Amino acid sequence: MSRRTARTSPALALLAASTLALAACSGGSGFDDPAPSGTEPAAESPSDGDGESSAPAGEISVLIGSSGDAETDAVTAAVDAWSQSSGTPASVTVASDLPQQLSQGFAAGDPPDVFYVSTDHLAGWAANGSLHPYGEQLANVDDFHASLRENFTVDGQLYCAPKDFSTLALVINTEAWEAAGLGDDEVPTTWEELADVAKKLTTDSQVGLTFGPEYQRIGVFMAQAGGGLLSEDGSTATADSPENLQALELVQQLMADGALKYPAEIGAGWGGEAFGSGAAAMTIEGNWIVGALRNDFPDTPYRVVELPAGPAGQGTLQFTNCWGIAADSESKEAAVDLVEFLTSTEQQIEFASAFGVMPSVQSAAEAFAAEFPEQEAFVTSADFAKGMPTVQGAAEVIADLNAQLEGLANADAGEILRSVQQNLQAALDGQG
Amino acid sequence: MSAQPATLPRKATRGSGIRGREAQAGWLFVAPVILLLGLFLVLPVVMAAWVSLSDWTGRGSPFSSEVSFVGAKNYSELLLGGGLATQDFGTALRNNAWYVVLVVPTQTALSLFLAVMVNRKWLRGSGFYRTAFYFPSVTSSVAITVLFLFLFSATGVVNKVLQAMSVSGPNWFADPRGVVHVVLGWIGVDKGPAALTEHGVLGVSLWQWLAGPSIAMSVLVIMAVFTTSGTFMLLFLAALQHISDEVEEAAMVDGTTAWQRFRFVTLPMLRPTVFTVMTLGLIGTWQVFDQIYTGTQGSPGKTTVTPAYLSYTASFQSQQWGRGAAIAFILFAIIIVMTVIQRRVIRGRDQDAL
Amino acid sequence: MSAPAARRNRGSRSGATWIAYAVLLVLAAIYIYPFLVQLATSFKPDPEALANPLSLVPQVWTTAAYERLFLRSDFPVWFRNSVVVTLCVTAGRVFFCSLAGYALARLHFRGRGVVFAALVAVMSVPGVVLLIPRFLVVKQLGIYDTFAGMIIPLLADAAGVFIMKNYFESIPRSVEEAARIDGAGVFRTYWSVVLPMARPAIITIVILSFQGSWNELAHFIVSAESAELVTLTKGVAQLAAGQLGQGMQYPLKLAAAVIMTVPVAILFFVFQRRIMNSTTGAVKE
Repeated sequence: MSRRTARTSPALALLAASTLALAACSGGSGFDDPAPSGTEPAAESPSDGDGESSAPAGEISVLIGSSGDAETDAVTAAVDAWSQSSGTPASVTVASDLPQQLSQGFAAGDPPDVFYVSTDHLAGWAANGSLHPYGEQLANVDDFHASLRENFTVDGQLYCAPKDFSTLALVINTEAWEAAGLGDDEVPTTWEELADVAKKLTTDSQVGLTFGPEYQRIGVFMAQAGGGLLSEDGSTATADSPENLQALELVQQLMADGALKYPAEIGAGWGGEAFGSGAAAMTIEGNWIVGALRNDFPDTPYRVVELPAGPAGQGTLQFTNCWGIAADSESKEAAVDLVEFLTSTEQQIEFASAFGVMPSVQSAAEAFAAEFPEQEAFVTSADFAKGMPTVQGAAEVIADLNAQLEGLANADAGEILRSVQQNLQAALDGQG
Repeated sequence: MSAQPATLPRKATRGSGIRGREAQAGWLFVAPVILLLGLFLVLPVVMAAWVSLSDWTGRGSPFSSEVSFVGAKNYSELLLGGGLATQDFGTALRNNAWYVVLVVPTQTALSLFLAVMVNRKWLRGSGFYRTAFYFPSVTSSVAITVLFLFLFSATGVVNKVLQAMSVSGPNWFADPRGVVHVVLGWIGVDKGPAALTEHGVLGVSLWQWLAGPSIAMSVLVIMAVFTTSGTFMLLFLAALQHISDEVEEAAMVDGTTAWQRFRFVTLPMLRPTVFTVMTLGLIGTWQVFDQIYTGTQGSPGKTTVTPAYLSYTASFQSQQWGRGAAIAFILFAIIIVMTVIQRRVIRGRDQDAL
Repeated sequence: MSAPAARRNRGSRSGATWIAYAVLLVLAAIYIYPFLVQLATSFKPDPEALANPLSLVPQVWTTAAYERLFLRSDFPVWFRNSVVVTLCVTAGRVFFCSLAGYALARLHFRGRGVVFAALVAVMSVPGVVLLIPRFLVVKQLGIYDTFAGMIIPLLADAAGVFIMKNYFESIPRSVEEAARIDGAGVFRTYWSVVLPMARPAIITIVILSFQGSWNELAHFIVSAESAELVTLTKGVAQLAAGQLGQGMQYPLKLAAAVIMTVPVAILFFVFQRRIMNSTTGAVKE
């Protein structure tokens, strides 16, 4: 008998042992394999996080979500320049799916040191402690536009430095404009004029207006109608309102008239591509279209004008990302230094000219307006721009809204708004 | 240790020395496999079960002391909550259910048809045909998805061919309309009756449940049938070749037609294989992930989101690890239930399935 | 060939024959054409790929897509990683599965039945359930973002054990017994005597492992994140997802898909007979 039990299942015992070992070593640093870097902690790293960053000690890894080669090259050049002058090696990687790679990195305790963070994800990552709130440590913290600072402040702490921002404006193909017999004074300033002009510009081979099927574009009409997704203080959902309904119905009307088509319907991946290739005469896009057109469609002549006003006046959306620093980073000091460099006035102007974004610091605003007169409309649009909701859970609700907007042509706009209202309120209440 | 004889109840014909060594060797030989399977099959399932019952947010270890047990909260949020999580899950289930319903019978029937065609004794070049039909199964799902993205693009091969037949093809991968709804639209039914639109299951109205796969999903269905029919054709071929010639000839002598022979003689003898093919098909189709990740990422309009993909995005993109794990387990349960039901229905007499 | 049917059937037989051939040819064309188009398009310039998708012969031959793949992207790295992982997984699986299969087939040890039953149970766990959990385990073991993390979990293969076990059971015991009598130890018997006789089964495992690990995607997504460890499947999937501001670039994507398919295609054509004759395994999910 005893012999039998002695013999039984050495393998099972092995399995049990390993399970216990894993459980026991959880949370502690026992199982964290020292990465090839060795484990020199940064001088002042607080004891948050049990992981380490993915680069050798002292080297900073930067992960970005690039809009194209222009952006990649510009960021790489900037980081290299800083590397040279500071003596700390740094490397830039372009993510193919930034949020997923960051999530995976945080979960594995192995994130990059510096990375883009969008307003969508800030709340979630701040909440689970993945981000290092370094905002107040920056020398130029007061130079950032107030609205941008707000976007990245959670619970009174400024988590990261806004790296730039963009607004949406109306981009017009000047060649098609003239060919349709339109002049300068016919630039649309109201919804009716917009519909009119879009119809005039629609020909057999070109549609008058295009923009992506998402809140990130259609939201401009909601802003112009006086609506929006959240109340001023961000505590109640206001998706289901007559103003928003007006906005959606405008879009539906434009589609029914044939003056508006989504990029996918005209064989393009996004509004800029449809515009550049001549499939559409007008599009609603942000500053990034400047760099994209210059690189991919240099022969398409265009001008940028402010979006028309709706029943409640002018309105548009603004987008911004920030430079996040991982709480698990081993080189926080160096990382903060890098971010200071990247958000400096001169560097931001460099980025602006490379891939068309607006600097996030006030000191660069004038220089930008002077150097890029063709982007003037984007700059002036900032006065009446609304930011994206940053509350946790909002990103999923907006993703769901976008999915429904894809079928807007045949859908019941009221239904869509009602469902968004429900979901958004639930997100605000429950923090799912 | 090896010198312990007589207490072993098993027959010890060889003499204890060799027996003992054999037993040791036996354990040693299976140890690596057991370790690997234990670590990477059993343990993950246990960990995931724990995560699905906890509130782990994605940082640090799931077993650390900060992570607490929350019971069935993740599951109830998915199945009963009614919020966005439930809606997404319901949509994913609907998409995958239609995918399964369309793919499994089609691939079974098509592969059987191909096998029968290729099996004819008088067929010359049968090797060529077998190769042609089996080749897609060899390639990676990623490569095939990329190929289909090209073939079914708005101005791609398929639409050009349809154009030649004066049919205007839809923008395949960007069309979120359900196929059933499109067909109903042709006969003038545009909105669902109130009975169907008012009520729903898992946050999705019954009218939406019956929408059928979206056009984009239909492309994925075609892709699935394209890539799996070859594999199952081989299974059927092997089974067909086992059916002895005498049986065939006896049936022929009786003066039956080919169709009768097929229906009453061949098909019943193929039952175990049909069962195997359908089981494998079920298990495979409920797990579709690669094609979604590569091709559509759930769009258009969330009509190509499947539970497997939802589990992935919930965890890795929305940081809802507990929910992602819960989805995976519910999927596990669905697959098991489906397989058991199928077993009962077909009364598989041959237990060498799988 | 079996005796032909009675004469009265001859007429309908040839009619049916022609129809059968026609159907087969059409179907075969449908199955083959996409791959030919893929190959052709990879040699077309971007605009022609969009304008003229149907043609099998490019108007303008260009290797621009391949150049871009090999010279200006990480494609060679992806290829190298896939090769490394596939070779290691295949070798590992052959070794471990044959060991375990032999033990289950031929060696008597307590608990053999339990192990066997456990293997059957384990085979029924669908892969999708393992996606997230494997990430967790790999992370806990500290092999996240390493080749080890990519390779080792894939070595676990219950079906392979079955294939080897079934084959070993069909080998006559006399050979082994002769070896034992000659004084060979268990491992020696297994390694030098029995294993060489199991070549068909080993080849089956090689084929299945190669195909399985070369085409694997989900595990590589979750087990690694750095750019140096990206495999072909993950890389091409990223390529397919595309980037904002880039055009459709079909020749590039299709060229990547072509190169990705070549090794498994070669394997397929070399071992065609064996693949098509083996009725076990060879399941495409």
